[in-house]
Amino acid sequence: MSAIDRRFIGYALPAFTVLLEPQRLQRFARAVGMADAQSLSVIPPTFFKAIEGEDNSSRRIIDALGVPLQQVLHVEQQFDYLLPITVGEQVRVERKVADIYEKKGGAMQFIVIESSIFRGDAQLAGRSRQIVLVRRPALASAA
Amino acid sequence: MSSRLGDATVGSILAEYQTEVITRERLALYAEASGDLNPLHLDPAFARKAGFDDVIAHGMLGMALLGRFLTEKFSAAPLSQFSARFTGIIKVDQALLCRARLAARSRNSVTLELEALDAAGKLVISGSAVLATGA
Repeated sequence: MSAIDRRFIGYALPAFTVLLEPQRLQRFARAVGMADAQSLSVIPPTFFKAIEGEDNSSRRIIDALGVPLQQVLHVEQQFDYLLPITVGEQVRVERKVADIYEKKGGAMQFIVIESSIFRGDAQLAGRSRQIVLVRRPALASAA
Repeated sequence: MSSRLGDATVGSILAEYQTEVITRERLALYAEASGDLNPLHLDPAFARKAGFDDVIAHGMLGMALLGRFLTEKFSAAPLSQFSARFTGIIKVDQALLCRARLAARSRNSVTLELEALDAAGKLVISGSAVLATGA
């Protein structure tokens, strides 16, 4: 695969909304083994990932950049929590490709995807920054 | 804010915690609950095609287990930032040892250095968390 075109920096998905249904949060809390999954009052810290991943959105970004799925690995993740989000609330999500860069003379390429999560009252509640490594085919088959 | 956070010296281990074994069933549950249906975590044939011996755990499942550890041990202090570097592959069918160390303290927050080690003692996640402790 050739290098990912840096003109994709700034590529954004259309903003979308996600309803934080209690059942959905409970399912997530159970999947990560939280003891209080039934009586959840706060959002589990990494649930942002499920919110931003609504409707396969991460896959859609990777596809749009023309990167084969078997070459990608999630290597870094950061969340910033600015305002509390409540169970039952509807949030709005914006996602974009913030950067594309390479290391080791192009043997390793990185895609940075940033998301912003807004509460129902339009205030920014949280941010997510994800770094994805794209492994070149030679490297992947040698592993 | 917990006295543990207030009294501990910088560099000391505040909490340690061994997770349950991460089984294939857990990977399937997490995939469904998180919406991350990448077959790398579900389909051994796809995982081999991608260069691995078997399916591997979602890095985000490992981070979620670290997040659970944080909420259980430091529930009194709200999280303001949480980050992770996935430094190694998390193989299926093993538990993670989670550890939190006090990295820094300021007037209204503490920074924890986090790590998750696999069954062989290899560092698979290196992270940090900033907790608000109030003024």
